[in-house]
Amino acid sequence: MVTKPKSYSSQLSQWFYAETSIAPLVIFRIIFGLMMMASAVRFWAKGWIDTLFIQPANFFHYYGFEWVKPMGEMGMYTVFVLLIISSLFIALGLYYRWATIIYFMLFTYVELIDITNYLNHYYFISLVALLMCFLPAHRSLSVDVWRRPSISVDKVPNWTIASVKFQVGLVYFFAGIAKLNYDWLFDAMPMSIWLQAKTHWPIIGALFSEKWIAYSFSWMACVFDLTVVFFLLSKRCRPLAYFVLVVFHVVTGFMFPIGMFPWIMILATLIFFSADFHQKIIVFIQSRLKLKEREAIEYNSLFLHGFKKKVLTGFLLTYMFFQMVFPFRYLLYPGNLFWTEQGYRFSWRVMLMEKAGTAFFYVTDPKTGKRGEVDNSQFLTATQEKMMATQPDLILQYAHIIKQEVESRGLEDPIINAEVYVTLNGSRSKLFIDPKINLAELEDSLKHKDWILDF
Amino acid sequence: MLLITKNILNDSHLRKRVTFLTMKRFTLSLIVVCCLMGFASCDPYEEQDNVEYSDFFENVADHMVVPRYAQFQSDLSGLEESLNTFDASNVSTLISLQEQFKAAYLSWQFISVFEFGPAAEYSALLRTNCNTFPTNSFRVEENIEVGEYNLSFPSNYEAKGLPALDYLLFHSSQSDLLIELSDVSRIIYMQDCLADMLGRVNEVVSAWDSYRSTFIGSEGNDQNSSLSLLFNQFLYDYEKLKRDKFALPSGFATQFGIPLDTDTDLVEGRYSKMSFLLMEANLIALENIFLGIGENGVDGVGIFEKLKEYNAQSTVVDGDLAIAVQEQFIICKEAINQFSNDLPFEITNNISEVQEVSNELQKMVPMIKNDMRSYLSVTVTLTDSDGD
Repeated sequence: MVTKPKSYSSQLSQWFYAETSIAPLVIFRIIFGLMMMASAVRFWAKGWIDTLFIQPANFFHYYGFEWVKPMGEMGMYTVFVLLIISSLFIALGLYYRWATIIYFMLFTYVELIDITNYLNHYYFISLVALLMCFLPAHRSLSVDVWRRPSISVDKVPNWTIASVKFQVGLVYFFAGIAKLNYDWLFDAMPMSIWLQAKTHWPIIGALFSEKWIAYSFSWMACVFDLTVVFFLLSKRCRPLAYFVLVVFHVVTGFMFPIGMFPWIMILATLIFFSADFHQKIIVFIQSRLKLKEREAIEYNSLFLHGFKKKVLTGFLLTYMFFQMVFPFRYLLYPGNLFWTEQGYRFSWRVMLMEKAGTAFFYVTDPKTGKRGEVDNSQFLTATQEKMMATQPDLILQYAHIIKQEVESRGLEDPIINAEVYVTLNGSRSKLFIDPKINLAELEDSLKHKDWILDF
Repeated sequence: MLLITKNILNDSHLRKRVTFLTMKRFTLSLIVVCCLMGFASCDPYEEQDNVEYSDFFENVADHMVVPRYAQFQSDLSGLEESLNTFDASNVSTLISLQEQFKAAYLSWQFISVFEFGPAAEYSALLRTNCNTFPTNSFRVEENIEVGEYNLSFPSNYEAKGLPALDYLLFHSSQSDLLIELSDVSRIIYMQDCLADMLGRVNEVVSAWDSYRSTFIGSEGNDQNSSLSLLFNQFLYDYEKLKRDKFALPSGFATQFGIPLDTDTDLVEGRYSKMSFLLMEANLIALENIFLGIGENGVDGVGIFEKLKEYNAQSTVVDGDLAIAVQEQFIICKEAINQFSNDLPFEITNNISEVQEVSNELQKMVPMIKNDMRSYLSVTVTLTDSDGD
């Protein structure tokens, strides 16, 4: 009886380290590198380096990462040059280990500069890039192998590919869990609002004002997110599941301004296909580029033993555990999650709500009692203002940005109040935070913000 | 059953065939998807988005932008003429000059919101070049005295345009002005200011000839779409009105966060005492865009009609959003109209009622920022939003 759990875990461990073809991992590496390169080039071409990292006078920080600062014009463009080069190197499998580490660090750095740019799929890319640093994805069909044939392998342990599948699958599954809420399922909100704006589409547009269409879209999206991973894992259902997935992403890609995300997911989910499938692609690439197949070495250094193996197992299990628990941290906070957004980020809550806010900030000179409304455009870009107006932690950060500016101009201990009106999923625009509270006196923390008014 | 499958897979030839078939199926489905994408991206989109807003854009371009610029152009030319025929010994020529100026300043209010496309080009920048207020009267006097100035320099933004003319034509009594204006260098300075404005406006007007089709044909709602440009300028012009024309002189505003004292010198049209008239004209201009009322007075397609189409509901007050905004415009205009003097006078003598106006102007902001923005799905965000 006692041996049963042990054998269970050892079975898992055995599966973790069992051999499988490297092909899916190699194709994933190439896809990832090329997609990231395209993303960086697109980001540059759209002029976002300038508008997001050079233009703004102030930046909103992640809690605990207040020390991350943009590097100025030259610096930021250099970072993007390096992002483009390193992602290309990842695709080529050239100096792979360095390329992945540099890519991960720089990408994460760029994301940490301003929290108003936060997107779940940027977080996803940071996590995958981190995983890539540890994966032997360059051990076949790469320049590294051509340079050093001795590293070539054709088998990798299961955990390498499984960890990527886990990360990709998590995005869908948790996006599905997040949709299990009253508004989404029983009010078809905010889907109704979004479809309302597309009623001018040809043929199908007329349907978008129908309530039942909004309901079906909401439910289909929810079921899709919750189940697609399991269907992708099943060999029999895979082709159909993938077809549905492609249609889903293409449709959402056209309906919403979500940029590269649908295309990244369409290609990333290819990892669920069989080794044979990926081998075909490799053979195709080899024949096109007239590459010779490398003989894989006999001794495979990727298969660890003893202590190293235990450490790796421990690390992987911890990582998986963390990823599965972290999105639930919102349960530690009172109140409506969508309203307070405490514990909202890093949890794969994508396209879930329609929230808009208008924030009037007031500064009062405690000595004279003189009070005036702040011109937000003197501090923030339009994007920053919009993001700030619906997120309590950013409202507090903005108050401190104002405080710093005001104090540098000689007004000590200003009283800073904010009158913020927020509408969530079409609800009445309500006062969001206590308009009487002096935000300048508060410090941000992970504790519950009791100055957020009830929804 | 199991055995058979195993056998098949063991046969390497067959196995290859099976994978080949899956590959084939995969390619096929990819082709289908690509066709779907092609279908979705080519035809219906372009035409439909045209149909969606092009009636509104067309109305704005043909019945607001073009005739309003033409009006401003002709008002400036009229002013130029009055200036050329000005006779310092004849007070009636001064009066007609002043009247002509007032007409021009009022018609400016109807184009200030169109600061996108041609008007936002660096060579034009109409709002900055024509209406940076308060004007710096010292700099104006200095320029006139020295006689050498380049009005294109940013340092002269505050010494030219309509606010500079406002100063030169109204800053003292008519008899004093007649004496002053007998100095030809003042006339020349005003002529130069006018030429500066006219040059820019002419440039914008001719650029609109070709920009019109771009403007009307614009699709979607990204940051460079006509919808986004027009909406953001609509919001910006409203917020400028609320802050620069009203809150700043009234002492309700801050500069870089520092609460400011009341300063009635900051009003627009300070010397001609037109502050409320100009504000009202500015409000009507915005209201016209909202309702779709053209320069000819015909009520066409505006934001109002679009919101009605979406059956948009207000989250700020009860009921229909289009009606709510329409009524708020009326309330704001009435609030301004209740005063019989200009803003500086009312600030000094009636600050509590001025505060009331401020509250009404404020109420409109969440209607625009929370509701109109959501329903028109204007992207304020420059980048992508979160995907699914």
